[in-house]
Amino acid sequence: MALIDIRDLHVSFGEVQAVRGVSAAVAEGESYGIVGESGSGKSTVLRALCGLAPITAGAVTVVNEPLGRRRSAAFHRRVQMVFQDPYASLHPRHTIDRVLSEPLAIHGFADRESRILQALDEVGLGAGFRFRYPHQLSGGQRQRVAIARALILEPRVLLLDEPTSALDASIQAEVLNLLDRLRSERGLTYILVSHDLAVVAHMCERLLVMQHGRAVEELTRDSLRARSAAEAYTRALLSASEGYTPAGATP
Amino acid sequence: MTRSEWLLTEHPRSRRQARLGQAWRTWLAFKENRLAMLGLAIVLTLLALAVLAPWIAPHNPLTGGDLRTERLLPPSWAHPMGTDDLARDILSRVIWGSQLTLMVVALVALIATPIGLAIGTTAGYFGGWIDTVLMRVTDIFLAFPRLILALAFVAALGPGIENAIIAIALTSWPPYARLARAETLTIRNSDFISAARLQGASHLRILWGHVTPLCLSSVIVRVTLDMAGIILTAAGLGFLGLGAQPPQPEWGAMIAGGRRFIIDHWWVATMPGLAIFAVSLGFNLLGDGLRDVLDPKARK
Repeated sequence: MALIDIRDLHVSFGEVQAVRGVSAAVAEGESYGIVGESGSGKSTVLRALCGLAPITAGAVTVVNEPLGRRRSAAFHRRVQMVFQDPYASLHPRHTIDRVLSEPLAIHGFADRESRILQALDEVGLGAGFRFRYPHQLSGGQRQRVAIARALILEPRVLLLDEPTSALDASIQAEVLNLLDRLRSERGLTYILVSHDLAVVAHMCERLLVMQHGRAVEELTRDSLRARSAAEAYTRALLSASEGYTPAGATP
Repeated sequence: MTRSEWLLTEHPRSRRQARLGQAWRTWLAFKENRLAMLGLAIVLTLLALAVLAPWIAPHNPLTGGDLRTERLLPPSWAHPMGTDDLARDILSRVIWGSQLTLMVVALVALIATPIGLAIGTTAGYFGGWIDTVLMRVTDIFLAFPRLILALAFVAALGPGIENAIIAIALTSWPPYARLARAETLTIRNSDFISAARLQGASHLRILWGHVTPLCLSSVIVRVTLDMAGIILTAAGLGFLGLGAQPPQPEWGAMIAGGRRFIIDHWWVATMPGLAIFAVSLGFNLLGDGLRDVLDPKARK
């Protein structure tokens, strides 16, 4: 049985149908990518999974728990999310300490001190950052705080919504390596949404290509690297990711 | 390590140090603004006058001197602001009146701000029918002219300074609710609110811990700027005889009392008027300065 099972998911906002019949199954410990252009509905799938967008039709099961409109406390402990923009995902008036201690307070953890220090240590920030405000941190450091916040509840599933697209290239690699390391250390399951095929190829074993709210096709990492895609749209996406080729030049 | 280094360090070692450091930075930014410091000085003077009134007022504010010889004396060394028609020293009355003014301002702020904040953030955060109901109630209160509604309340409850305070408070919360709602609408869909919801935070926790702190600063600025209006409304009610009752030394009531002799004995109405002017100006300057340092949108 897959850890996350999405069957024929539909998400509509009024008239707009953002997601139209997407299915996917993610096994425990797997890293699963969703790629597509802007507006393809890839982020909406993640938001529907964690309850920030409504599930209009279809069934989603996470760790054998069918998801309805309200999520249980256990769900929040199992599934956490890292947002795209680290400048928007941290409360501007809360210190890092407050950001990290709040989820512990909500779920009634006892040993908060040691957990906060351990979480900061794991994302490579150290205790010196504990009482800073977000505006005293760089983008990469903020994203590390966001990852620490997601991991402090010890979830099994981490939803990553373009976790590096707001960061510059050198910081991107650092954050991706951090995510890779955390996954192998903790046996986490990732669902990574990105428009960057290189990031997805680096992070994920399997990926789903989406366009206009529909799933186009599912690829493995090897077929992505071999550029062997069945659908025309995927091939167009692949060639677009190779960048600009001057006319007349032979590839 | 000096105290300012301890406050401004980039590596605070405790919650308290982080919070104090943040407050110290705000104060340093505030100190740069000369006019705001003047406003703060005026407000602090008002505070000092109110606290020290029994010791610094030269005469009794309620019982006057000799009615045959000391009525309506012009400003002199013995009576720097002159005396009124009951031979009472106006300076002493203005000093004692600062207590009433401060009480009105403080109580109105303490009553109206929480009501406005609670209604505004709740309406903005939940949206839907809750928003509609709360905002239409707010609209109804907003539709009444403030002084007229206050008049109606006072007429219903009976004249007196306490009822004037309740009346002003009940009429001054709607702008705060609108402001808090507008602020809440801009942040309710932001990622840090989504993150808090994903952690399983209750609505109350999000409203109180995440939304309110961000609305608070602009509401505080607005309340400070409104203080002048509150003082004027209280003075207006006093002037109409519906606020403080004689012989209480309320500034608006004192102007009303001096109105009859304004041509021949100008100081009777002018001196409390000057006090109202100075205090209103002080609160306005203070509010302007606070907006510069507190409003996140005004910051560069």
